[in-house]
Amino acid sequence: MKKKIDVTRIIMGILAVVLFLCLWTLSTREGTTLGKLMPGPGEVFKRLLKMTHTNIGSLTIFGHMLNSLRRVLVGFFLASVCGILLGLGMGWNRKCEAILRPLFELIRPIPPLAWISLAIVWFGLGEGGKYFIIFVSGFANVTINVYSGAKAVDPEVIGAARMLGCPKHRIFTSVVLPSSIPYIFTGLQIAISSSWAAVVAAEMVRSTNGIGWMITAGQNINDMEQILAGIIVIGVVGFLLTTIMRGIEARLCAWSRV
Amino acid sequence: MGNEYKVQVNHLTKKFGNLLVLDDISFHVKENEFLCIVGPTGCGKTTFLNSLSKLYDITAGEILINGMPVDLKKHNVAYIFQEYSNMPWLTIRQNVEFGLRIKHRPEAEIREQTDYFLDMVGLTKFQDYYPDQLSASMLQRAAIARAFAVKPELLLMDEPYGQLDIELRFRLEDELIRLWREVGTTVIFITHNIEEAVYLSNRILVLTNKPTKIKEEIHNDLPRPRNIADPAFVELRRKVTDLIKWW
Repeated sequence: MKKKIDVTRIIMGILAVVLFLCLWTLSTREGTTLGKLMPGPGEVFKRLLKMTHTNIGSLTIFGHMLNSLRRVLVGFFLASVCGILLGLGMGWNRKCEAILRPLFELIRPIPPLAWISLAIVWFGLGEGGKYFIIFVSGFANVTINVYSGAKAVDPEVIGAARMLGCPKHRIFTSVVLPSSIPYIFTGLQIAISSSWAAVVAAEMVRSTNGIGWMITAGQNINDMEQILAGIIVIGVVGFLLTTIMRGIEARLCAWSRV
Repeated sequence: MGNEYKVQVNHLTKKFGNLLVLDDISFHVKENEFLCIVGPTGCGKTTFLNSLSKLYDITAGEILINGMPVDLKKHNVAYIFQEYSNMPWLTIRQNVEFGLRIKHRPEAEIREQTDYFLDMVGLTKFQDYYPDQLSASMLQRAAIARAFAVKPELLLMDEPYGQLDIELRFRLEDELIRLWREVGTTVIFITHNIEEAVYLSNRILVLTNKPTKIKEEIHNDLPRPRNIADPAFVELRRKVTDLIKWW
């Protein structure tokens, strides 16, 4: 079951990115209206390079990136653990579902940003509030996917396990859990992207570092290059995180994509 | 009541709400018997087996194995479904091992039994594949290997070959007979295919339409191996067919 690396696909992907950069360059060239408002890719990349060794505020771009990454990972980790537990609980146990599902359905549609004021009241202006915003943005995604995964277990398979004398708790560990793993990963994938999106919002709330801060600070001094540099870093790091997640998923769920 | 019967079904009744599906059914199965249950489509054959295997709670009556109420953790029962019930996240080998692991058999026995039954159903070469990579007949053979590997005292089969083509069905039927004779288990086999019932069974129960009762019990002493073109075979098949058609 070796996967062949599809060369044409990779080339097409690279071409698409190059084409995008060309369009960007063209539309921001000298003399265009857009060119007066925002810099081209060359300038942004030059600025990015400079940021690797000079401070923006108190840190270099890597320092800001690591701070954001830490917030994302802490919030995402908490969201994953709680989401997986709640999702499996609601999917497996009827009582748990009856009690928690209505609460969950009420909380689920609330956008993460709506929690900002509450986050400040509950956790203060420090890191706690930021972790909370990121947690909220990932939690519902993980829960709903894990929940539907635990619900979607093939009843034939559960029946077969029961018939072979499988006690209830082992049906959970040997049947429900493994068959939910692809769903769990779908939830985690969505959650890591939305966590990364929410970190920007979280860092708008009084912070002195992080990519989100960098973007907000850029906005305040009208520095488009700094804003775009921040956006690019978010895009690239987000892409790397999802790629890593896909790799882990491919290893754990070889069976679901053969 | 001694233990002369492997399975005793006494006054089994099952209702879904107000719908009476199984109406006071009683029968006994002897040790090492191959019992086939046939009936018209939708007559509740599967409800019957699901009640028997405790997947459903029964409304009234009792089902005893070795004179004791069914307890799937104590009694060694295996069940082969109409649909393929392999676990998609386990390889074929791990699927066959599944029941043995649930029953905490020693590692050496697990290896030995799995090797033996994988070989018997001809899947040794495919043991490390996942179910998604195999054909329907291979999956059904894996399910059969999984069921036999736990050396069940009772094997319940619910139209296991319903979705296979004729050639495969013939092959798997012969395989089943061979396994049954070698392992010496008791089999209850549900089917709507009369020829299959006559080919496999020692005894045939013919069910009525809903609410289901036992219409007739037929002993099948045709010598094995059986030939579906043999006049005695054809005669018995006709007899069962008439019973099902007649109401």
